[in-house]
Amino acid sequence: MSNKDVTIRDFCRHTGQLVELDPSNFLPLPPPYDKLELQPKFGKLSEANQKKLESDLDGISAFKFPRPQTDDEKRVLVEKFLSGLRKLFDKQENWTFMQPLFLTMEYCAKCQTCATACPIYNESGKLDIYRPTFRSDILRRLYKKYVKTGGKFFAKLSGNDIDASWTMIARLMELSYRCTVCRRCAQSCPIGVDNGLVTRELRKIFSQEMGITIEPLHAKGSMNQLRTGSSTGMSKAPFLDNVEFLEEEVEERTGRKFKWPMDKAGADILLIHNAGEFLAWPENPEAFAIILEAAGINYTLSSDLCAYDGVNYGVWYDDIQFSKVALQHAEVAKRLGVKKIVIGECGHAHKALTVIADRVFTGDYNIPRESSMTLLRDIVKSGRLKLDASRNDDMTTTLHDPCNLVRLMGIVEPQREVLRAVSNHFREMEPHGVNNYCCGGGSGFAITKDLNFPDFRNQISARTKLRQILDVYQDIIGPEHKKYVCAPCSNCKGAMRDMFTAYGLFERCNILYGGLVELVVNAMVDIDKPFIEWEWH
Amino acid sequence: MSGLQVIGYLAVGFFVVVVAAKIIKIARMPIHIRWDLYPIPHEKGKGAYGGSYFEEIDWWTKPSNFSLISELRAMALEILFVQSLYHHNRSLWYFSFPFHFGLYCLVGFIALLFIGGIMEAAGVAVAAGSGSGFGSLIYYLTLVLGAVGWVLGILGAVGLFFSRLFGNELRKASVRSDYFNLLILLAVLVMGMIAWATADTGYAYLRGFVQSMVTFEPMAPLPTAVVVQLWLFVALLFYFPFTHMTHMFGKYFTYHQVRWEDHPNIRGGKIEKAVIEALGYKLTWAAPHIKKGTWAEAATDWEKHANE
Repeated sequence: MSNKDVTIRDFCRHTGQLVELDPSNFLPLPPPYDKLELQPKFGKLSEANQKKLESDLDGISAFKFPRPQTDDEKRVLVEKFLSGLRKLFDKQENWTFMQPLFLTMEYCAKCQTCATACPIYNESGKLDIYRPTFRSDILRRLYKKYVKTGGKFFAKLSGNDIDASWTMIARLMELSYRCTVCRRCAQSCPIGVDNGLVTRELRKIFSQEMGITIEPLHAKGSMNQLRTGSSTGMSKAPFLDNVEFLEEEVEERTGRKFKWPMDKAGADILLIHNAGEFLAWPENPEAFAIILEAAGINYTLSSDLCAYDGVNYGVWYDDIQFSKVALQHAEVAKRLGVKKIVIGECGHAHKALTVIADRVFTGDYNIPRESSMTLLRDIVKSGRLKLDASRNDDMTTTLHDPCNLVRLMGIVEPQREVLRAVSNHFREMEPHGVNNYCCGGGSGFAITKDLNFPDFRNQISARTKLRQILDVYQDIIGPEHKKYVCAPCSNCKGAMRDMFTAYGLFERCNILYGGLVELVVNAMVDIDKPFIEWEWH
Repeated sequence: MSGLQVIGYLAVGFFVVVVAAKIIKIARMPIHIRWDLYPIPHEKGKGAYGGSYFEEIDWWTKPSNFSLISELRAMALEILFVQSLYHHNRSLWYFSFPFHFGLYCLVGFIALLFIGGIMEAAGVAVAAGSGSGFGSLIYYLTLVLGAVGWVLGILGAVGLFFSRLFGNELRKASVRSDYFNLLILLAVLVMGMIAWATADTGYAYLRGFVQSMVTFEPMAPLPTAVVVQLWLFVALLFYFPFTHMTHMFGKYFTYHQVRWEDHPNIRGGKIEKAVIEALGYKLTWAAPHIKKGTWAEAATDWEKHANE
């Protein structure tokens, strides 16, 4: 069986690993990565892990789910899956997404327009298993057979009959983590069918009914956040220590000494960062603090449970976990009596708190939420900061659009207005704005670092973004030119950090990535030293 | 009354009831979480590049930026010209556009047959050079819409069928029913064209049949080709509601209730009321991290975690 000719029937019946990933079949990259030897190696699972873990889809194990040993175990898993499947189409159990899912199940014309839009499918060399309709069609067949009245009879008649077996469900489980839910497919669909939603709803069956989750998202993610306050595991005391340290660092770097407002009741704004910024990219919250202080904004950070970490991983896999975290964010804002919540540079936190949670918050919890992009645009345009774009003249900038900000929220121009105000050498990637491509780390991919999953992310899901970055800088690709990819999203930066490392992008091409606020502070004329340190962290 | 007439009434009734039931089922589903997808054309001044009201500082204090004209324009372009396919899948659009446009013409053609049938029942002739100018207009419009509809519909359906049969990606994604859907439509279209060309060039027989249906009178004898055409159409009416081809109705929901649905939840508003109702729904999801009870109870199950 060829990798490219995998059918749904094979998916359900074939034993052993279904597809072998071969980098020589992936779409070629522009120079200097047009030579295969300059590309990273694609790791294989050890034989022990292959035997132990479910990885029969493509040799990757995102879930690290142990293979069931007996037929009885398999039968129980299949029953649980079908129980979850039925709940997806129950008004009470899944009011959150039942209507969009039902529409997607009923109306796909299988025109494959979505396939042209999917970066993972195309970059993989058009492997069938990654086609957006492939996983949807499996779910659709199961829905029609096991949920709809008379399904078993009509399944045979229509030629769509598949049986729910553990072999198939185990592959479907892994397949639900081969899509970043960037929803480019949905955007291109003439009918409005949403294959990205199918990915998310599948993950819900595994998480909400079967208790099967990806560790970085659930145990180390949302559960950790609800327990300690942050998905990083950083509880209140270390967070406050961290902020104190960053205050000192700001003083060292800029000569500005000021306390960051913390737990200030009655402030206009509660600013929530992705807590990963404090640990991995501290210059980002530092830059925010410098800008807001200089602009005289009445804001506060919070050290309360969850409120110093804007992440909400539930948005990718679990409605209940999502709601718990979102309500915690609102609870703190309510207690502080702020006028609005502003979300830092984190795409999924934007969408989670602003858009998705809009149908969870009621009464006092429904506190207005806003993007930091609009606040920054307002500050920059107001002239409250003294800016000189020529201070960024030593680098050529481009903007990576986080999917959550653009395609899923319609925040397109504010970040560009800011960028144009602080960079004379800004160029757009193509396509951009609402037609952008995902960083490759969406829907939890950026934080999934176990076994060989990072190879899938770096070499397939992030490949189009890499291609875009190389393309936009192709005329100045050499290391003699400094190039900055502005990515106003912690998750996207996480994916870029790994992808840049895997390809040696900084060393070979002198391309650095970072946030938007860092560029703003770098352009502030009353700060002597450059704020952006041109080195790889 | 003939068997064809009886089955005709049943088919139309069946079609209307099943399609209406499906539409009502979808419309009555509970409010869902926002799942907007941009560009949303009704965002005045921003729709063209995909912007939204979230781009405005303190957006909740600003007046609504809803542009009905922009939304209607986008709808017209999508419905009439299948614009999204034009942009994202041009090779298929070359067949899909004539196919859909042909079907629209034929829907108009059927409407004109009804108008003509009613006019003739009322004693107004619908024919070339009839005394009534309106009768002539209906006659010629029926001819034009029919001809355009048959030709474009058949060209499109044949193109789509062969694209599915020989296009690598389409073939892999297709099952028996996908081919059957196109074949039954093609059969109706081809038979319609044959009946027109060989036996019913002015559609007098079809109009007469429609008149008999509208007036509940016995139908006049029809040429075999027209009878076959009508039986095939009746079969289509029975089959159609069970297929994805009802996307002509579903598309309203996928666009207006999901992709373009960006109404914010305002305190004390209709959306909030629906959300409160939904939060009272019971859930029984079995995973250990989910507290059983109502959604509100499960979503505020924080203490357990905080004390762990």
